[in-house]
Amino acid sequence: MSGRIAVLVFPGTNSEDETLRLLRECGGDADLVHWSNAGALDEYDAYVLPGGFAYEDRVRAGAIAAHDRMMDRVIEGTQRGKLALGICNGAQILLEAGLVPGTGAVRRPTAAFTHNAPVPHFVCRHVYVKLAMDPARSPMTAGLANDAVIPAYTANGQGRLVATPERLREIAAGDHQAFVYARADGSLGDDAIPNGSASGIAALVNREGNVLAIMPHPERDAWNFNHLDRAEGSDPLAPSGGAVFFRSFVAGVRR
Amino acid sequence: MSERAIAIRLKIPDNEAYTALVALQRLGVEAERLERSEIWIVEDAGDPSSLASRVEANESVFNPNKHRLEVLASPQPRAGEVWIEELGAHDEVREHLGGKAIDGIARARRCVGWRLLDRYGEPVSRGTVADAADLLLCNPAIEVARLGPEGSRARREEAGDRA
Amino acid sequence: MRDALALRDDELERIALALGREPTVVELHAFDAQWSEHCSYKSSRHHLKKLPVAGGDVALGPGEDSGILHLGEHDGVRYGIVIAHESHNHPSQVVPFEGAATGIGGIVRDVLCMGAEVIGVADPLRFGRVEDPGSHQRTVARGVVDGIGAYGNAIGVPNLAGDVYFDEGFDDNALVNVVAMGLVKLDEVVHSYAPPGAAGWDVVLVGKATDPSGFGGASFSSLVLDAGDEEANKGAVQVPDPFLKNVLMRASYRVFAMLRERKLVVGFKDLGAGGIMGCSAEIVSSGGFGAQIDLDAVNVAVEGMPPEVVAVGETQERLIWVLPPEITPEVLRIYNEEFTLPEIAYNARAVRIGGVTAERRYVLRHRGTTVMDVDIEFLTGSIRDELPYVECTRVEPARRELPAVDVETLLPKILAHRDVCSREPLYRRYDWVVRGRTVLPRGAADAGVLAPVPGARLGVALAVAGNPRIGRLDARYAGAHAVLEAVRRVIAVGARPIGLTDCLNFGNPRKPEQYGEFVAAVEGLSDAARALDLAFVSGNVSLYNESKSGRAVPASPIVACVGAVRDVGHVVSPGLRRAGSALLWIGSRELAVGGSVLAEIAAIEGDLPAIDYVAENEAMGMIKAGIARGSVLSCRAVGDGGMLVALARLAFDAYARGRRLGFEIDFANPFCETGGFVCEVTGDSELDLSGALRVGTTLDRPEIVANGSRFGIAELRRVWSQPLEEVYP
Repeated sequence: MSGRIAVLVFPGTNSEDETLRLLRECGGDADLVHWSNAGALDEYDAYVLPGGFAYEDRVRAGAIAAHDRMMDRVIEGTQRGKLALGICNGAQILLEAGLVPGTGAVRRPTAAFTHNAPVPHFVCRHVYVKLAMDPARSPMTAGLANDAVIPAYTANGQGRLVATPERLREIAAGDHQAFVYARADGSLGDDAIPNGSASGIAALVNREGNVLAIMPHPERDAWNFNHLDRAEGSDPLAPSGGAVFFRSFVAGVRR
Repeated sequence: MSERAIAIRLKIPDNEAYTALVALQRLGVEAERLERSEIWIVEDAGDPSSLASRVEANESVFNPNKHRLEVLASPQPRAGEVWIEELGAHDEVREHLGGKAIDGIARARRCVGWRLLDRYGEPVSRGTVADAADLLLCNPAIEVARLGPEGSRARREEAGDRA
Repeated sequence: MRDALALRDDELERIALALGREPTVVELHAFDAQWSEHCSYKSSRHHLKKLPVAGGDVALGPGEDSGILHLGEHDGVRYGIVIAHESHNHPSQVVPFEGAATGIGGIVRDVLCMGAEVIGVADPLRFGRVEDPGSHQRTVARGVVDGIGAYGNAIGVPNLAGDVYFDEGFDDNALVNVVAMGLVKLDEVVHSYAPPGAAGWDVVLVGKATDPSGFGGASFSSLVLDAGDEEANKGAVQVPDPFLKNVLMRASYRVFAMLRERKLVVGFKDLGAGGIMGCSAEIVSSGGFGAQIDLDAVNVAVEGMPPEVVAVGETQERLIWVLPPEITPEVLRIYNEEFTLPEIAYNARAVRIGGVTAERRYVLRHRGTTVMDVDIEFLTGSIRDELPYVECTRVEPARRELPAVDVETLLPKILAHRDVCSREPLYRRYDWVVRGRTVLPRGAADAGVLAPVPGARLGVALAVAGNPRIGRLDARYAGAHAVLEAVRRVIAVGARPIGLTDCLNFGNPRKPEQYGEFVAAVEGLSDAARALDLAFVSGNVSLYNESKSGRAVPASPIVACVGAVRDVGHVVSPGLRRAGSALLWIGSRELAVGGSVLAEIAAIEGDLPAIDYVAENEAMGMIKAGIARGSVLSCRAVGDGGMLVALARLAFDAYARGRRLGFEIDFANPFCETGGFVCEVTGDSELDLSGALRVGTTLDRPEIVANGSRFGIAELRRVWSQPLEEVYP
């Protein structure tokens, strides 16, 4: 594979530029691809669906974008083993498209990222996520340490994973929990979960490990200048924090 | 205590309904108009004739500048319509009604009503509504869809076919 | 129909006289919008001339849709910060969610149309009393915040700064001010006027299909709200579409890039008050031209609308380009095909609606007939309305009191006060980190900071201020105070203030006492800005903020300050840093309680603290020097609640970052709101401490010891962070 990465721009996407910039900083050969140019997606080896409000989350978050022409290509590409990473709204789209956890049919979601709890409101908050599976489970996480803890921001109104008890058992049994919310030291607790997400799940992965959907944004806490506690004298423009996840992703694309 | 339903619709342009209609048409659903409403199914001990005015007095639910309110004849979706309700949603009045109780109303459940109409303004067939719910409007992992009855026009056509 | 217009009889006579005939219906509505205070500043303009508008950092002063400040250079490119400030008070009172959302939508267009990338917003808010869960005030307070969040979050612009006050003076008339900030290369600015040689060029409308919503908006905002009017005003409800705006912004960025490649100078302007007519008339008139517009070419949502609705209705999400005809097809292609506007919203598109004419007339055609034909200067530039006013005087205190304060009982009460307690429940509904450039997010410090230029160390800071407790006592002082406070906030994070904007929210200009407050506040703004050598590069006037009982809102001159940061690596991080540091109070320490939270809570009265600009400049200079040398470890401006509250905030910020630090102070009355800064400095500080007072020391445990009273920081922080949770759960 030549390792070209497409950053998809749906109408309403709003995090494409910072996602693209960080991918490139981490060595990725990445471009933006627009919804009116869906055919170009065939030339790429991996897809990144950035954050935003594709179609303004109308009907349900991710629901209309899951039927967008660009998603026809993403569904086909991932079935042939290409990698797809969805962040926040991108994660919601992958879930509505049925690609994660991937336990049902295409475009027949088996779970939802829905309104936060206990109060169904948009919440912006700094969080940490912890790798909840063997790094080798997905090429995208293979570059991370066991139990890696990554800083990120949650910024959504619909980030709470909800599914029936049966579907949740399926997610656990199938090792579909990619990341869970954690404290800075990696310990777990309800106080670390910003939205009441089932089992504290922050990211889902499909069975094959080539589609990963993460709700919080590691790319928003990915440069020294983003950190409120940066070390004195450190280069503010150096990538750090959430960038580790993008390095691992880019390495996975190259693999 | 009886179960009643209220529909609150926007009287300003409904951006969401437009986007949903375009998406449904792209998915092959034959509808020309889509009306969205917020449906409240309430258990009401008050006077039915005052239900509208009691709800209208709660400004976190109803703003006369952008909403119109209708007390429905029955707490059931109409022809051409599907009501989408979140599974396991709370039914506490206060949570739903903006923290303010409404006289007489003990419980309230919220649904989103989608009504699909053809180019003559007639309700589309029940099968078309079911398709719309299945393809887009309902995520069965978290929502349940309640379909209205077959529309009179569809029934007429069916009768015509048989004749 | 006369009843639906805000034009006065003398203005109608003037129009008929100038036209030499009775005006058409369309003309009546056009003048009604264009000559409203909202559009013309007919009464306020000559007072606004008192404000300083030029100076070293000003790249573009007032007059276009936004002002521009020089931020700094990177790689030989000079960057500008585009800034605009507006109110959306009346619409937000009637339909809070849509009113506030369209406020953000409008201010973002003002910045966008300067050729800028929109990088941040701020929202100074003033609400009535919200204690009663069933009150209209609470509905407004929630709806406004949700509207601002829904819009700003969706278009992907971080919310960087803002403030909120709750005061009974806003019970009937909330204030919703919005500020937007953009980034532009200074040699790539697009102006809000048709450039020289534009006769014969195209006028291109882009955006949402025109619909009947927002008809009557300009004159609506210049009327006093009556309870019964809310239903009647429904036509003026504007419908926001942030989804369409998100796409419009990105499509416009693409057009900017295309224009840069071809080195073309064009005009671009937001449609605000007065709709298509107001925008197209102003963009051509300010370039010295006229225009002929064909209303039948306008993309509409509903067929058969009367021409006056198409011409002056204020449908949201629209802008106008003035383009050389050879480039028009490419611009239409970008919007309509590449960014598929017609698929994004019903009949949204870019379309040519007319042309620029050398003749200075403004002509509207509809169904083959001319429905408006007027001298364009008469329409856009001639209206003046100098109103009488009564000189505004200070409300003198009945008593002058300075009782000994009981810190033990007062500190928790002041921290829980509605004007002091944590704003996080409100602003966590906003996205402050989208676009990934945030250095100091909303609420983390006195000002928000971004690193706006990817790959550059340049930073930009933004803060707002305006205190209604002071506005009730002295409008002139309130203007000066707002400037000082906004500037201090920017300095406290390590930025150099480079410019100001203002939004002047006042009562009815036809009541000389209320109008006198406006006039006085402008003088106060001017005094302080001149003393600090800063200019106002854009602003807005919102009058008729008056309740149905005829009472004006507290005088509310609201100011935003932009700061430049040379290196974001040197921004002052939030919270106390280490134990054993000295805590200094720099600035006036006059013991005066007038206008303070203390005065309200303790039910005492006193004078407003004197403003001493020499001392202010000294204090600001000391902080700037201390931060530049690295001897200031943490810093906050002293504002609502006074010095002890500012220090408590530094301790809370440290606690939130996991640093178990506290402080001990001893000072007679630590709740006076006399301004200045508190800061933590290194022991071996080279800071020139003359003029600074050492008030205490930081501790190695999460405890505050103030005048001998002890408080655990976890508990005190809980007291401070809870109150707004009920309003914004």
